[in-house]
Amino acid sequence: MPPKGKAAQKPKAGSSAAATKSPAATPAAPLSTKSTKATPDQQQPQSSTVAEKSKHNFTLCHPFEDLTGKNSLSALPTQADQLVWFASRLVTRLPVRSIGAKGQKDLWKTVNDHSLPPRGFNIRKHQKRQQQHKTADSRGRDIGEYSTKEWELRQEKRVTLSCLQLQSQRFRELRDRQKRGFVDSQTGDTVLVTDSEYLEEKQRRREMDRLKKELYGTQGMGRQGKLALDPEWDDVVPIVVEDPENALAAIAYSPDYAEAMSYLRAVMNSKEYSPRCLKLTEYIINLNPAHYTVWLFRAANIFALKLPILDEITWLNQIALENLKNYQIWHHRHLLVENYYPSISSDPAALSAFAASEREFLTQILAEDTKNYHVWSYRSWLVGKLGTWFNPEELKSTEDLIDQDVRNNSAWSHRFYLVFSDPENCTPGDKYAATEADPKVPGQIVDREVGYAEGKIRLAPQNQSGWNYLRGVLVKGGRELKSVQSFAEEFVMGLGEEGEGGEGEGTGEEVKSSHALDLLAEIYKEQGEKQKADLCLRRLVEKWDRIRGGYWQWRRDGLGLGEVAA
Amino acid sequence: MAADTNSPADPPNPEPALDIDRHLKYWKMCLQSPLPHHYLSNEGNRTALAYFIINSIVILTPNSNNNTESPLITPQDRRKLRQWVLSHQHPGGGFSPSSSLVFPLQGYEQWGPETGSQNAESAGLANAPGTLFALQLLALLADKDDPDGAFNGVDRVQTLRWLRRLQREDGSFGEVLRLLPGQGWFIGGGYDMRYCYIAASIRWMLRGDVKEGEPGWVEDFDTEKLANYILSSQTYDGGFAGSSQEEPHAGYAYCAISALSLLDRPLTTTTTNPPPTSPLLSRIRDLPALTHWLTSRQFIYLTPSPPSPTDSDPSPDDNDETEDVNFLLPSLSSLSLSPPSSQHPLVASNGRTNKVADTCYTWWVLAALSNLSQLPLFGDWLPARRFLLEKMAHRIGGFSKYPGGPPDVYHSCFGLTVMSLMGEPGLRKLDGGLAVPEETVKVIERARGKLLKKARTEGKGREVVVLGVMMRGARPGWLGAVGVN
Repeated sequence: MPPKGKAAQKPKAGSSAAATKSPAATPAAPLSTKSTKATPDQQQPQSSTVAEKSKHNFTLCHPFEDLTGKNSLSALPTQADQLVWFASRLVTRLPVRSIGAKGQKDLWKTVNDHSLPPRGFNIRKHQKRQQQHKTADSRGRDIGEYSTKEWELRQEKRVTLSCLQLQSQRFRELRDRQKRGFVDSQTGDTVLVTDSEYLEEKQRRREMDRLKKELYGTQGMGRQGKLALDPEWDDVVPIVVEDPENALAAIAYSPDYAEAMSYLRAVMNSKEYSPRCLKLTEYIINLNPAHYTVWLFRAANIFALKLPILDEITWLNQIALENLKNYQIWHHRHLLVENYYPSISSDPAALSAFAASEREFLTQILAEDTKNYHVWSYRSWLVGKLGTWFNPEELKSTEDLIDQDVRNNSAWSHRFYLVFSDPENCTPGDKYAATEADPKVPGQIVDREVGYAEGKIRLAPQNQSGWNYLRGVLVKGGRELKSVQSFAEEFVMGLGEEGEGGEGEGTGEEVKSSHALDLLAEIYKEQGEKQKADLCLRRLVEKWDRIRGGYWQWRRDGLGLGEVAA
Repeated sequence: MAADTNSPADPPNPEPALDIDRHLKYWKMCLQSPLPHHYLSNEGNRTALAYFIINSIVILTPNSNNNTESPLITPQDRRKLRQWVLSHQHPGGGFSPSSSLVFPLQGYEQWGPETGSQNAESAGLANAPGTLFALQLLALLADKDDPDGAFNGVDRVQTLRWLRRLQREDGSFGEVLRLLPGQGWFIGGGYDMRYCYIAASIRWMLRGDVKEGEPGWVEDFDTEKLANYILSSQTYDGGFAGSSQEEPHAGYAYCAISALSLLDRPLTTTTTNPPPTSPLLSRIRDLPALTHWLTSRQFIYLTPSPPSPTDSDPSPDDNDETEDVNFLLPSLSSLSLSPPSSQHPLVASNGRTNKVADTCYTWWVLAALSNLSQLPLFGDWLPARRFLLEKMAHRIGGFSKYPGGPPDVYHSCFGLTVMSLMGEPGLRKLDGGLAVPEETVKVIERARGKLLKKARTEGKGREVVVLGVMMRGARPGWLGAVGVN
């Protein structure tokens, strides 16, 4: 290498043909030294890019390069020029030492005389730089187009990234040592990776990911997902879902979800049960709470790790409130309670405490969505599991919902279940179907329920829930339907009668509930009053419930009145 | 938005038309591009989404049989799509419902199909709905030149064995098997009438008439127990729920009725219309209450109008129900003053008493009645058709869940199935029990026949092997290696 001081010398004006042949070479700046030392007249034009600078640098070092594209000396006018050209070739392409002491001296002299800057001597570095300049950054802009300032900033990021990578490497080595049970020879302690080191590594990787994205974009280098960046998952090789060309119903889901599923597949495949698997299920459930496999895998983890079930139920409450329409949540809860129940089944205090806390939560969630099918299904199952049919609170909270909305059929159904599945008041098991009379049901229970239904029907005569309930109670209690005949007749006046003005049949009738007509038709039929039954059904066909005309007509046909029905 | 022309009742409107091209356009989009992100919650049921798409396209293209192919799915596509469906089959029987549950082959290495050994947790990757939809898809995508081969590649024996393991002690079915640490095998999926229906459907599609001792015979699940479970799930008001202790639901009623009818459905469907009523259906405890409950699901849909003080609605509760804006009870007093509703009422159906209108409930209710051979009880079809086309059909094609909502594949499919069931011109006629076109049912029957035939010939081959082993006095080691068990 020539002495740096000489290289920094200003080229002698007019001494080089390069100055005239290559306009970019004037005024030539000695770029090997810090540019801050450059005097104003040596500065690059402000708009110049790193690629231009590099080219300029190269040209300084390789005079006549443009001219001698085919390495032909004949293109150069003078012998002096040829000498310079030759020297520049030698110095950039050959191990200079191989040409002997005299040759070296001459060579360096020529180089110095022409102020060939040493920066450009390394032809390989130059080629590498050219390659770099052609690559695009994360925004698709060529690095070569960067200004010096921009380029320096980029370099800074690259250095930072390298440092972080080194630190990350150190973390991995440390964790490796911990795994192998290494003992620190100086302190005598076993190597331990602390939680804060984990956390630092996690943050470090996010920073590395950010830098990588800034430097190289998301193409090529590959996007690193949350889990791939998490040191906790380093040892898991995700199993990525790959769709073939012809696949149906692909869903455009997020890269985060795709990554999470590929890790889930890996741990399910290796049958791993661990706290990190539990965390993974929580992560996926937050992205998609409807994947039943994830819930089952979560349950498997809870059982394998013998985690407290009540903690899981508490966690589940929030998830359930956030995902009202979700269905899998309730199966999960069902499974949890099945497994929790044996631990409290012989402790009445624990049982009633659990029943109360569940009821409190169910009341809360039903306040959000009073007819939520999954919640009500779970609730009826839970009542049977814990045996709380007779619990006054259970009946009360159902009644409250009917008071709020007398048409809440879910609440009516639950009431029927509470009253008529209570082993105190009915035959246990499934000896009698829901649509069959149970001789064990006490009369006063039937009276109470008939009274309840009648009261609610008076509030809303056209509400089918109340009428269905009333009929259900009568059947279950073994009562004849005619026991509510006068009640039903309250809602029907002057059926089929002509009004005072004589406008035709039915103009004088007043019907407050089509369901009353329905029930009366059944009552009259039971008593053999077929004509009266037929009148009820006919008025339903003709006026009060036309859209179900086909059905009412079928009921009429069932009366066996023949031509009268037609 | 639905064709929301609030046209006056008179003069009588011409009935709205089903725009088949528009619906095909919608399905083409669903077929050819990924479904949007909001389908994520169905990621675990991808084969169900695939069934909605393919079933609808087949229903909409009635003329594509006899070698004139549907323009949307070429014969080459069919083969590739069938391969895709088959790739979901689990070595232990059944199909995974989603590609994310299909593992690379080495994942199944430790799977012990017979023993259900401790290492067989991957059994949990197959599930009942996934299996039903995969079989339906294979039939819907059958090669036109080889409908008998629709089930080629389906492991009938293993799938039926796996299905049997999904039955619970009480006769009901779950959807999935999973080994839970410290608890043994768990039948997951809740108490849900849908799985009972799915089990009955898979059994009908695959089992056939093989007698015990014959090649290809697989032990059946307990059909009597399943029937009893279903029959005991009728509720006090006549409907069906997951159990008699819950609120009845039209979807569950359909599943209960269809499962019963599939359990003793003849293996080949004759042309007699309607098909003979299943003897199991006559065991429904309270059949009159069931028909009453089913027909009660219909109601007159009143277009919600801005509240006006002159509206004489005597029922005070109606105003509280903000959620139920599309469920307005016609007030009886107003009916008595004017002719009911209008000349052209719209009739919607709900899934439960006092719940809102939804496209799919018109299907569940109507198909349930159809499977009971009680279709006429639904009454006049036109008002229901009018409701679907005027309120639920979307201008980009497809049907929505609620009036004015966006279309989705589930409601779009069931909007079409119900129209097809009611004999809408231009659509393939549907089989109400299996929810695929009647032609597809024929394909299923033929495909099942071929699987059985294959089982019988292979059975003969096995007999020869057994004979050979007996003569040799020992079983050569290589026999297993070449795949002969």
